[in-house]
Amino acid sequence: MTRELNDNDLAEAFADLPVDGISRRRFLSLLSASAALGFGVSCSRIDRGSIVPYTKRPDEIIPGVEEYYASTFQEGLVTYGVLVKTREGRPIHVEGNSEHLFSQGKTSLRSIGDLLGLYDPDRLRAPSYKGAPAGWADAEKAITHALSDARLMDKPVLFLTNAIVSPAQKALLFDLKLALPSLLHVAWEPNLPQSQIHATRMLFGKAVLPRLHFDRAQLILALQSDFLGADSAAAAYVQAFSTHRSPANPSESMSRLCVVEGNMTLTGANADQRLQLNPWKMLPLVFVLVRLLNELHSIPLPEGLTADDLREFEPGGMLRALGISPIVVKRLAEDLARAGKSSLVLAGDAVVPETHMACTLLNRMLGAEGNTVEMSTTPSSPGLLTYAELEKLLKEAAQGKFALGIFWGTNPAYSFPNAPLWKQAISKIPETYRIGLYEDETALDCLWRLPEHHWLESWGDFESASDFIGLRQPAIGAIHDTRQAEDLLLSCLRQMKMPASRSYLEYLKNRWQADVYPVGSPASFEAFWNASLHNGGAKRERRPSPSPVVNRDEVKKAILAASKPPTANNVDHLPESMEVDLVLSPGAGVFDGRYANNGWLNELSDPVTKATWGNPILISIADAEYFGLMHPFNGRDDLKEQDILEIFTNAGKIEAPVIIQPGQMPGVASIALGYGRQTGTVATGIGANAYRLIDPSSRNPFLIQKARIKRKGAGERHAIPKTQVHNRMEGHDLARSWTLAEYSQKLKEKKEREYVSLIPDQKFPGHKWGMVVDLSACVGCSACAIACQSENNIPVVGPERVLEGRAMHWIRIDRYYEGDLRDPKVLHQPMFCQHCDNAPCEIVCPVNATVHSSDGLNQMVYNRCVGTRYCSNNCPFKVRRFNFFDYTSMKKEPESLVYNPEVTVRPRGVMEKCTLCIQRINNTRQKAKIENRQIIDGEIRPACVAACPSGALVFGDLNNTESRVARLSRADRNYRVLEELGIKPSMSYLADISNPANKG
Amino acid sequence: MGSDAVVFPENIPEGLKPPAILVGEVNAGGLDDQVHSHLYRRPPKAWFIAFAITSTFMLTGFGCIGYTFWLGIGAWGNNIPVGWAFDIINFVFWIGIGHAGTLISAILLLFRARWRNAISRFSEAMTIFAVICAVIFPLIHVGRPWLAFFLFPYPNQRALWPNFRSPLIWDVFAVNTYFAVSLLFWYLGLMPDMASLRDRTLGKVRKVIYSVLALGWRGAASHWQHYERAYLIIAGLATGLVLSVHSVVSFDFAVSLVPGWHMTIFPPYFVAGAIFAGFAMVVLALVVVRTTMNLKNLITDYHLEVMNKVILTCACLMGYSYLLEAFTAWYSMNSYIHHTFMQYIGGTYWWAGWTTITCNILIPQLLWFRRFRRSYTGMVFVAIAVTVGMWFERFVIIVSSLHQDFLPSSWHIYKPTIVDFGILFGTFGLFFTLVLLFARVLPVIATTEMKMILPGSQPLHKGGSHE
Repeated sequence: MTRELNDNDLAEAFADLPVDGISRRRFLSLLSASAALGFGVSCSRIDRGSIVPYTKRPDEIIPGVEEYYASTFQEGLVTYGVLVKTREGRPIHVEGNSEHLFSQGKTSLRSIGDLLGLYDPDRLRAPSYKGAPAGWADAEKAITHALSDARLMDKPVLFLTNAIVSPAQKALLFDLKLALPSLLHVAWEPNLPQSQIHATRMLFGKAVLPRLHFDRAQLILALQSDFLGADSAAAAYVQAFSTHRSPANPSESMSRLCVVEGNMTLTGANADQRLQLNPWKMLPLVFVLVRLLNELHSIPLPEGLTADDLREFEPGGMLRALGISPIVVKRLAEDLARAGKSSLVLAGDAVVPETHMACTLLNRMLGAEGNTVEMSTTPSSPGLLTYAELEKLLKEAAQGKFALGIFWGTNPAYSFPNAPLWKQAISKIPETYRIGLYEDETALDCLWRLPEHHWLESWGDFESASDFIGLRQPAIGAIHDTRQAEDLLLSCLRQMKMPASRSYLEYLKNRWQADVYPVGSPASFEAFWNASLHNGGAKRERRPSPSPVVNRDEVKKAILAASKPPTANNVDHLPESMEVDLVLSPGAGVFDGRYANNGWLNELSDPVTKATWGNPILISIADAEYFGLMHPFNGRDDLKEQDILEIFTNAGKIEAPVIIQPGQMPGVASIALGYGRQTGTVATGIGANAYRLIDPSSRNPFLIQKARIKRKGAGERHAIPKTQVHNRMEGHDLARSWTLAEYSQKLKEKKEREYVSLIPDQKFPGHKWGMVVDLSACVGCSACAIACQSENNIPVVGPERVLEGRAMHWIRIDRYYEGDLRDPKVLHQPMFCQHCDNAPCEIVCPVNATVHSSDGLNQMVYNRCVGTRYCSNNCPFKVRRFNFFDYTSMKKEPESLVYNPEVTVRPRGVMEKCTLCIQRINNTRQKAKIENRQIIDGEIRPACVAACPSGALVFGDLNNTESRVARLSRADRNYRVLEELGIKPSMSYLADISNPANKG
Repeated sequence: MGSDAVVFPENIPEGLKPPAILVGEVNAGGLDDQVHSHLYRRPPKAWFIAFAITSTFMLTGFGCIGYTFWLGIGAWGNNIPVGWAFDIINFVFWIGIGHAGTLISAILLLFRARWRNAISRFSEAMTIFAVICAVIFPLIHVGRPWLAFFLFPYPNQRALWPNFRSPLIWDVFAVNTYFAVSLLFWYLGLMPDMASLRDRTLGKVRKVIYSVLALGWRGAASHWQHYERAYLIIAGLATGLVLSVHSVVSFDFAVSLVPGWHMTIFPPYFVAGAIFAGFAMVVLALVVVRTTMNLKNLITDYHLEVMNKVILTCACLMGYSYLLEAFTAWYSMNSYIHHTFMQYIGGTYWWAGWTTITCNILIPQLLWFRRFRRSYTGMVFVAIAVTVGMWFERFVIIVSSLHQDFLPSSWHIYKPTIVDFGILFGTFGLFFTLVLLFARVLPVIATTEMKMILPGSQPLHKGGSHE
């Protein structure tokens, strides 16, 4: 909307006016240019990019006015409704769609970050055959020929895809199978809850992934589950979870999160009560809880379980064997009994499958099933494979079973652990087609590489929840010579003389007309379709689903598995190495590896370790000490962070630098998946491929028993780029955290002393923008950081620069460990420019490049900034970011299209920082002015506020005493960080409140 | 007074004699011959070797600066939170070095310390060169040096006007004033010498150059009258500058709210430190100059000893300042300041802190001994220690304070790069290159001023009464 007019523009506009041969301006510019040269400084960076107006403007596009398109983002079985913000026809930002039933206005940080993937210069741009460019006509001919051939000869065809949760895709698959009966469709998602799928298949005969309602839960018992962090659905879960997390007063009810886990996860970091337990030992704990609930609180046992079954689980003995205090577990059982159907027990995926069975039984027993846990099947995909099933399939392929292989989307060459088997299998498939975005590992193994659309260029529909069907629509035309895979398949069908639509859009519409369009609706289908497109989908009637029946035999087996005395501590001392139980989890940004080429998501710091760009192995403090003592070298008897460890399992070996993680259970190590890619400019060489450690035949692939770790070489180290290197608050009162009891105590105490100042208060007539950050709601997920990066054109600097302390994020989530590092209290505090009334940065800037606006914002004037960095030195929060290098000129096309045109791209040598999204403030202000009205409270949402799934960030006008932000800034829990410096920040924080279980 | 009270110079007991500021017979003509002789002679081999070394350093430094311009400030180790590092350390260091010259030429002139006359020219020249080295840094440390002129208040159409609340703007004025006054003062003192050179030189080109530089000086009584008055006025101005410039530089730190910077002791502490470092540098240079240029009779052991006494005094002042910092950290009960002070002596950069204390406080204590004050080895050792120590002092103040300030989450270590070192040593190269050139083209001793303290140049009162 507002493009900054700088002197370069003016100079350019007038430079070439011919006035008597040489214009005055020309003369002056020549003069100054030669002066600059003479001075030995010739670094002027004038953007010579030309601006060409539309000769024919598309009707719907008004230059300078953004357009929003509702669409859907898919990751595994999870989908989020999103709004794609476009400017002049190109998507520049992704936000949650509030019309969407599942995501309700929030979306995952990876959906926001994957916008960069659309413009990734590494994307495949045209089809190729054996590495040589080939046209689409040839490609289509080849694939059609191959398919027709397969049909005629009845040759088996392997069709491997991502999870399919789209009804239209399912229908298309059905059509394909009809045309080609020998087609075998399977779906491979390396990060699906494999253990849960195993468990529910055993228990119910089919994979059931229940829908969880954290908003209805008063007591959440999470066993090795990182539902607030690593889970694909985390954004939706955080949103629901946070509804009972920020009490306005001490008597307000608040949910309690009890986490039992081995490694330190974001969920554990947010727990009110966190118990450390080896993931292998979760199962008996659940049965002990079942027995306690039955015996002490006389809750009837669920169907399929008898008191006799539980005789092995005598609490005292079993808990002693588990190493957990019986009192704590008894309290927990009490809490569960009290919460009843408002309790929610869930397990993560690094547990044995029986744990999920036990949790299901426990939920049933408590009555939680049907309330907090909805067994109505959430979307599931046909042909979903477990690791073992994929291994079996590849073994068959290696024997030459398939004549043709089509690999769409999923990247098994990278994510399947047994790489030699994959190579063998693919080499035995004579014809291979890769439909994908990149020339990735799988593409390199295939003959044909067919580039597909990015999701932002595609059509589609998604069964997001049983009662909502989401729509995906393109927000931009295809950037490269790519096709939507479904279109390609349809065209194959057509050429095989099967009845098929001309395009996938038509196919989709036909299917919607037949299946989704409500019968007897007064509106025409077109109207319905347009409305659905606008809303991002359509509601459907909820299909009631009966509780699945439990398979009693499997329950018996589970009990048998649980009652075996848990193995003693697995720590073993083989020469120079140590054995640990290894937990694998998806990377915070790169997920299962599909976003590994995305700079934004790579540079996003892990919410717990604050590490970027790679996957260090996390081990406990005790293990590090023990390891160092057992295996000293060079006289050094400690294991230091960043030392490289070799990790061996039955399946393979990788190397990773070590982080000694506070709160990690001794004997448990953890490492993230999704790194160690071998293709992609950004992804190559970042971290190690932890999939290689997985034994495909394992029922719980993400929990590896007895992985061996060994120090590599004599003190070999690998620097871990972290955005925060100091972990403690050092006794300062920065991120406040109180228990509910402390909260009520604080209210009784006298008010804190007021700080008096000799300097008169600044005056802000009209608006005064400010924000309140509710630390109690914030879980530290970092979605705000990604949204900010996308909205404000924040450059990616790379691992070396992060190491040097030059990361550019305008928001950082400070993470502190307090108390005993072996069992710390973890605090998260989003930190960005505090927009101080008496801003210390402003008085020291010699050139007035940072000044205060009349509406309370601390502003940066990039054109004025010469880059003395004095402002940053004087900023007590150190939230200012300096362009130490030119981060923009190395951008390859079309990467620069991702820029938000409303935000200046900063040149080298300039300071920058959070503006509170001034472009959004001004847009709304202008809109309100044109409409001759006041700005409505909550109307302005900076990118971080819009992205925050927990609603922890509240922005508004502090001068409007009725606004939400003004009310919260008067709340009991409100405080300002470093208030004692007299700088009067406009940002304030609400102290974190925790609801720990009663002690003793 | 009775005649028994008359004491003739030759009768003064050895211990009571004023110390020698001249050795042997020195007369006006001989003085000129001695001092000017170096200007006509081909420099010795050692000079060329020294020049080759210093200019190599200088050019490397310029190369590093060019690299920085090409790549950006990222070529250095600076980061967030350590926004300033070698750049501002070097700036403060060099500005400090300059202060000795001003003190010697201005304040000691006003105090009529006669021993200053022999070393004033040289130390003033060092002031100029040190300020030249210093001003490089504010220019190159900014992210966009091609826009550094934004710091000057000049009328323009872009409504750009500097922020006069910022100490950096005060710096611009302080340093510019300092450079201008120092240059003027130096040149004014040079004028009679230029005239004398003009009169004595034979080479045609040289004659023209010296004639121009002498600005028509004829040695008329009116010239001398104006000269003396102007010299005194500028000395008065410069006296203020000795105190103000480094005070203003210290405001860069004291005005901010960074723990470890935000201290009222900073202005006097910085001034003392500047004189301290400056004298050490002058001692270092003079030891070389008086030996290689055969000036031992003019720059005597006495001069060196006096300067060593100044160094010792300053060392004690520095010790007091350091103690006061510790006291502030304790007495203020401010946990941030306390943390910063503990960082100085026991933190990441503890070695820098202890280098500072050792070099600036402990080693100069050797100068309590006359033996050390008079021995070349002793004083060179101390002078080098002080130079190193004062550089590290700024390192401690700037880097150690910044790398851990308020929010522990933003704490980050600072590591200099090779470019940082290149520029640091480059300015040493520039400084000594200029010194070497100066020694070849201009009289290193102000002959005019020396003549004023030659025997017989001042009215000598031999007792008795004025009948």
